[in-house]
Amino acid sequence: MTENYFGSVVRRRIIFILIIGMIAIQTFQLISMQLLESDKYEEKSQSNSIKTISVNAPRGIIFDRNLEILVGNKPSFTVQVTPAKYNSKNTKIIEAVLNVDSGYINRLLEKFRKFSKLKPITLMRSVDYKVISWLEENHSKLPGISYIVETKRDYSFGINAAHVLGYTKEIDRKTLNKNKDVYAIGDDIGFSGIEKKYESILRGQKGKKLIVVNARQKIVGKYNDGKNDIAPIKGNDVVLTLEYETQKITEELLANYKGCAIAIDPKNGEILAYVSSPQYNLSNFAGVTSTALWDSLINSKAKPLFNRGTISMYPPGSTFKMLVATAALEKGIITPAYEVNCKGGLQFGNRFFKCTHFHGKVNLKEAIEESCNTYFYKLILKVGIDNLYEYSQKFHFGKKTGVDISPESTGLIPSREYYNRVYGKGKWTDGYLLSLGIGQGEIITTPIQLAQYTALLANSGVSKTPHFAKGYIENLSNEFIPFNYDSVKVEISKKTFKVIRDAMEGVVSSQKGTAHGIRLNDISICGKTGTAQNPHGKDHSIFIAYAPSVNPKIAVVVIIENVGFGSTFAAPIAQKIITTYLRNNKNSAQDISNINLKVSH
Amino acid sequence: MKIGAKLKDKFDLIVVFSVLALITIGIISIYSATYNHPTAKGNLNKQIFFMMISFLILFVIYFLPPITFRIIAVPTYLFSLLILGAVLLFGKTIYGAKSWMSIGPFGFQPSEFAKIGVILFLAYWLTDSKRDINNIKDLLLTVLIGLIPIVLILLEPDMGTVIVFAGISLAMIFWSGLNLFGLFVVLSPGIILFVSLFGTIPFIIALALILMALVYFKQNLFISGAVFVVNLAAGFIFDFILKILQPHQVKRLLSFIDPSADPLGAGYNAMQAKVAMGSGGLFGKGFLEGNQTQLRFIPEQWTDFIYCVIGEEFGFIGSIIVLAIFLTLFLRLLKLTDIAGDKFGQLTIIGILALLFIHFAINIGMNLGITPVIGIPLPFISYGGSSLFTNMFLIGIVLNIYKNRKHHVG
Repeated sequence: MTENYFGSVVRRRIIFILIIGMIAIQTFQLISMQLLESDKYEEKSQSNSIKTISVNAPRGIIFDRNLEILVGNKPSFTVQVTPAKYNSKNTKIIEAVLNVDSGYINRLLEKFRKFSKLKPITLMRSVDYKVISWLEENHSKLPGISYIVETKRDYSFGINAAHVLGYTKEIDRKTLNKNKDVYAIGDDIGFSGIEKKYESILRGQKGKKLIVVNARQKIVGKYNDGKNDIAPIKGNDVVLTLEYETQKITEELLANYKGCAIAIDPKNGEILAYVSSPQYNLSNFAGVTSTALWDSLINSKAKPLFNRGTISMYPPGSTFKMLVATAALEKGIITPAYEVNCKGGLQFGNRFFKCTHFHGKVNLKEAIEESCNTYFYKLILKVGIDNLYEYSQKFHFGKKTGVDISPESTGLIPSREYYNRVYGKGKWTDGYLLSLGIGQGEIITTPIQLAQYTALLANSGVSKTPHFAKGYIENLSNEFIPFNYDSVKVEISKKTFKVIRDAMEGVVSSQKGTAHGIRLNDISICGKTGTAQNPHGKDHSIFIAYAPSVNPKIAVVVIIENVGFGSTFAAPIAQKIITTYLRNNKNSAQDISNINLKVSH
Repeated sequence: MKIGAKLKDKFDLIVVFSVLALITIGIISIYSATYNHPTAKGNLNKQIFFMMISFLILFVIYFLPPITFRIIAVPTYLFSLLILGAVLLFGKTIYGAKSWMSIGPFGFQPSEFAKIGVILFLAYWLTDSKRDINNIKDLLLTVLIGLIPIVLILLEPDMGTVIVFAGISLAMIFWSGLNLFGLFVVLSPGIILFVSLFGTIPFIIALALILMALVYFKQNLFISGAVFVVNLAAGFIFDFILKILQPHQVKRLLSFIDPSADPLGAGYNAMQAKVAMGSGGLFGKGFLEGNQTQLRFIPEQWTDFIYCVIGEEFGFIGSIIVLAIFLTLFLRLLKLTDIAGDKFGQLTIIGILALLFIHFAINIGMNLGITPVIGIPLPFISYGGSSLFTNMFLIGIVLNIYKNRKHHVG
């Protein structure tokens, strides 16, 4: 610097450049921020002050086949806590008012520790109205405590059908982590039965509320007057195949028994009634299920949570005799005229296999009508393990039916390979078969398999996969979307089916028939009694039936546990289920597509 | 026309209108920043009251005989040191700095008053015909005059004001014709100090550069050695400064070095201010429509972050207008050094220009994220009485110098 004097031109210039330079830098920054990157900052500014609150959608209604409501929705108060605002001084009194054990709130807060402190978390669902009034009154003293109105399941429509409908439960961490895009912590999810199977149809679509918050996360108002809010979309309504009246009667009939009953439309596999008894009361699952209730349900000897219809495996007993007979007739081993002289049992080797009575000379029809074991001991020896296995396969025993609730057991039909594997090749004799001939021994089947079997017998070997859901009503279009089910076919001659049908009709209509007691004048019922031997206690009473004998509309399986012989308990129940269904005018040949959709949204 | 010309002769209208415009923008922005605010609603009325008082101050100063400023220069400076010392003993701590004095119901910042003292005294001192700024003894004495208030303010501690004082002294010394080596001696410790904030390696590199510069200047060994030692010491002062600085100030400083390190803590203000500025776009969101401002995402926005109220609600147009007004004011002040009757007036204006410019550069810079968050207000716009009074006092001196431009006083 040559001009080292006061206020030199150079120094003036340097200051001038400094000023211009600084303002130029600031201007460039302004251009970059406000003109070039304005969108980025605008977005940040929005995310600062606009918060999204998701609004849960009500689940879809569950209807019976005639659009009677089975499960609906009702309003429910949910108390929430916002950790950032919550004053732990109030913990004691809130826990007392909510009637929960002390430490409940702390455990909850701990569970949500890693989540935003400013987001309300569910403290308790389905809270009593009185508690809400108390919260309202003491609102100012309870910072961070709020409530919202949600919906919960309404089970007040007279049908329980716990094992069919199932219940919803708060989503667990594992499921949540897999489905983060759909669910949030604290959401309910279908946990069993139809609620689980059709979760994606029933759950609906969450809505969004956009609110404006200030720097302290205090809600200032709606964003854009709520114009950008997305209303929740209620779930689609599922239409079941159950028939309200029949289901209701079936529940009543089984109320005092352990066991199960399944009624099915033989033509299309639609399940008309389904009860696994004892049931649990679904209304206890609508809100918060107390641990005490859970414990009592889990520890109960009657196993109310256990779905007998698809999981329990029983020997089919004498109901299996039609399968043995079918195999023999189809293979040409015998004709219907084939006779056996029953002397109260059969001596095979050094063991005597008992029959129930001295039947004397019986042909096939009589053997079925009177449930003669001796006839079928002899017959099974003629039919052999391979034919028996082949026909069991044809009637879909030993595999899951694919019914639309889970879990389902497979059951077991022994084959030659099975015996070789279990007993060793050559180490088992035909004597092992005798029990199989009367549906005892290693054979085990699930009630739903028996229901399918009965449907196939009823409809000459043509039916569909048993199922509970007809379809659903698309919420937005109000259009019914039917589900399609696979056909189930058994390639057996019409003639054979007629022989079997006559015999089953005789079980009820014939004087000597084992289920003569349920005979009706106006409805011809085809049936078969059975007794499932139970090594743990009294035998189980089984009855399978369909009606009317020509062009049957309903097939029924009833299993009553630990009561003994089939005709006494199971048959009258089956009869009442049949009459309830057939005498109801609504059930005379109708189609869902003809029903005027009376669903209100 | 005649009245206009007369007025133009009495007042520098560019300065007057720039300042009036800035104060008006300030009032509008404070209105928006405190609109419906639960605790700061009253600030608008207070600011209007401060504005009226400040006009009074301006007029009083404007009508004083020009000799007054030379007469009061030394006493003002000494009184400044006195109250800067007193505030350390009796002051009130606000935002971690002991910078406020209370007299009855009124609070004021001695450092604001001291700005006047330092500018007047340095102008007086440096324009004394006996002094040669390129004489090392005179230079050191001059530096000392600037340094005493700086040390006192550093003890409060108020980093922002320290920078302002350092800048004022530097600008005035520079204007006085200090040669390159002298500038190097004055500036290098500051540079070393700043560089050492970023770690040991930058510090060593800077020190090596200083050494090279010393070789280039070919001064005698004693002076060169002394300068080097001072620089070395400056590097270690960083630790000392970290000790004096309040935790929040350290955080702010560190958050400038790495702004993303603590987005919800110290970097929060800076980030939210940038979001407010940027989201304003070309035309802004409209008066009282800025969600950053109205939803209070920027704490105490009416003080140091007032510029982003303008940025958010009036957009690029509003922001650039503010810059343009300041530019006009600064260039006019620079021009007035030509018009000023004497060296004292010239140098006083340079000191005032330096003060306003440093405030402006740092404040706008921190709103735009180009300087660290150093809490100093935007002149004439930010809320606050002390700073407005000082600024108007100084503008009063400028106008006084303009009015008396034809009267040479020595």
